[in-house]
Amino acid sequence: MKVLIVEDEKTLAYEMEDFLKKAFYVCDLAHNIKDGLEKMEMNSYDFILLDLGLPDGDGLTLLPKAKKHNPDAAYIILTARGNLEDRITGLDLGADDYLAKPFSLLELQSRMQAIARRKFNVKEELLPLGDFKLDLQKRLVLFGDNQIELSRKEFDLLSYLFLHNNRVLTRMQLSEHIWGTFADDDYDSNYIDAHIKNIRKKLNTWAPADFIETVRGVGYRIKK
Amino acid sequence: MLFIVSLPFLVDGIVSEYTNYSLRRQQDKVIQIVQKKGIEHYLQGDNSYGSYTMLKEEYIALEPAAKGLPIDTIKTAQRVVEQDTLNYRILIHTFNFQQKPYLLEIGKTISSINQYNKPLQRIALYVLMGLIAITLLFDLLFTRILIRPLGKIIKSKLTNRKFPFKDRFIPVKTSTYDFKYLDESLILLMEQINEAFDKEREFTANASHELMTPISILQNKMENLIGDEQLSDSVVIRIVEMMKTLDRLKKISNSLLLISRIENEQFVKSDTLKPIDLVNEVVEEISHRLEERELHIKVKLNQHLYLKEVNRDLLFQLFYNLINNAIKYNVNKGSIIITDQLSESGYLIAIADTGIGIAAEEQAYIFDRFRKTNLNKNVGYGLGLSIVKSICLYHGITIKVNSAVNVGSTFSLLFPAGTYTETI
Repeated sequence: MKVLIVEDEKTLAYEMEDFLKKAFYVCDLAHNIKDGLEKMEMNSYDFILLDLGLPDGDGLTLLPKAKKHNPDAAYIILTARGNLEDRITGLDLGADDYLAKPFSLLELQSRMQAIARRKFNVKEELLPLGDFKLDLQKRLVLFGDNQIELSRKEFDLLSYLFLHNNRVLTRMQLSEHIWGTFADDDYDSNYIDAHIKNIRKKLNTWAPADFIETVRGVGYRIKK
Repeated sequence: MLFIVSLPFLVDGIVSEYTNYSLRRQQDKVIQIVQKKGIEHYLQGDNSYGSYTMLKEEYIALEPAAKGLPIDTIKTAQRVVEQDTLNYRILIHTFNFQQKPYLLEIGKTISSINQYNKPLQRIALYVLMGLIAITLLFDLLFTRILIRPLGKIIKSKLTNRKFPFKDRFIPVKTSTYDFKYLDESLILLMEQINEAFDKEREFTANASHELMTPISILQNKMENLIGDEQLSDSVVIRIVEMMKTLDRLKKISNSLLLISRIENEQFVKSDTLKPIDLVNEVVEEISHRLEERELHIKVKLNQHLYLKEVNRDLLFQLFYNLINNAIKYNVNKGSIIITDQLSESGYLIAIADTGIGIAAEEQAYIFDRFRKTNLNKNVGYGLGLSIVKSICLYHGITIKVNSAVNVGSTFSLLFPAGTYTETI
């Protein structure tokens, strides 16, 4: 998958590039509207990550022009402005998703995968996880033909770990994904631990769930 | 007052003026008669003429006078009439008739004069009192009319104003210079307050916004770093610690930004929702915490009531923060009860917990930013209730807290009339 990152904060752009490359995305960078448009004319992208506060204008003004060159691309707006009108305007102009800075790169990737599933109609087979199979679209965990009852949050947790398999996710990253960033919310790892415990218990009744690893002092990982 | 004190004297004066006048009239009459009918009409051959009324209240005396100085005076003097010595007001007048001088005396007893004095005084007093009453009434009415702009100024500028002052300042119409001056000064003062408030708001928004980019960079760098397989476990753990600290910073900035966005009215109030649904959703979202503390929660809310023209996300946040607090500051196995009540003053939702409570002297400050009260250490960042407060302010909700230490706290939200309905 090819990604164009339009972000004027270079360090941030490099970090995104770094992260996405590891997830096997091919990345191009642009640091202003002009560069961005040029790159869009030359190439076709699957994803365009668009910052709104660019030095030569508002990223939102770029969106309609960009859609002409890359009508099939998925657009994700990244902004520190985070106000509601931007979000609404962005989505009205055809953006597929919206992430408020500061966001987690894990969150970015999981949104991109969700869009890919939805938009590019990526027909995912049932994804294997140990002796289990995951259906991300129908949000199911299967053991053979048996459906394992996970709560909404438990499934979110498992699929997030699955999506970022072989990577340690901290309890904080997990809780942010599940409960969002509620202001004044005290991060408490216990809740994540409790959920993981439940997931393990439910899976273990069917087959060993040893693919879920606890990384001491850090968090959890799904080893594939 | 002066008038009342001097009233008897004034009446005396008036009465004696009147007496003098009537004495003069009588004198004129006598002289007319003398001119017409001759002096003999009175004297009838006698040397002198004297006549008095039955009670000796009045008398007239006419006698030839010695040649010399003409006398014409009115005085108070004693006269002896038939062995009675009485005080008279006497007019003494000399006149010539057929080249002979005569002396005319007309007298009125002082006591008969004083007869008029009392009623006269009383009437004067009544009239006076009436006048005073009327004057007072007029004064009151008049001052009220005069002072009306002042009332308007107080009403429009001082009372019933909710901070921040959103609507434009309309000068009160008045032609009185002092009121105009007062009004203008107040407008100026309010503009200054608004300006200072705007600046603070702008600063908060800008500062937290500017913080977002460096926080983003740090967060993403750490995320990339932690994914590096070559790092030793101890380094990874340290990075995780750093990420936790950064997360705190992020949440503080987010909260400040949220508050300033609410204050800048960047949220659209166009949702209609049932509070019971919203509260249940919050409870569901937060249920893991309830379970952990083994808390019992009871939601008893009106099934048919809707809140209208609200922002759903903000109200969710409002209930989330309040219920979250009710969990945080509760005792294990305690309870949380959410009830409502519909009354004339509005729709009231109360969230009561059985927690540690808030000391009376702290209650005034709990909505202030960054002020931690009786919290366990490391709980919260002191912004949760500030957010609650600004959401309430934005929606016109009155929030009140009722709390006793070691008994529990009750936060009540009063939705004013017009913000809820039972039918859509």
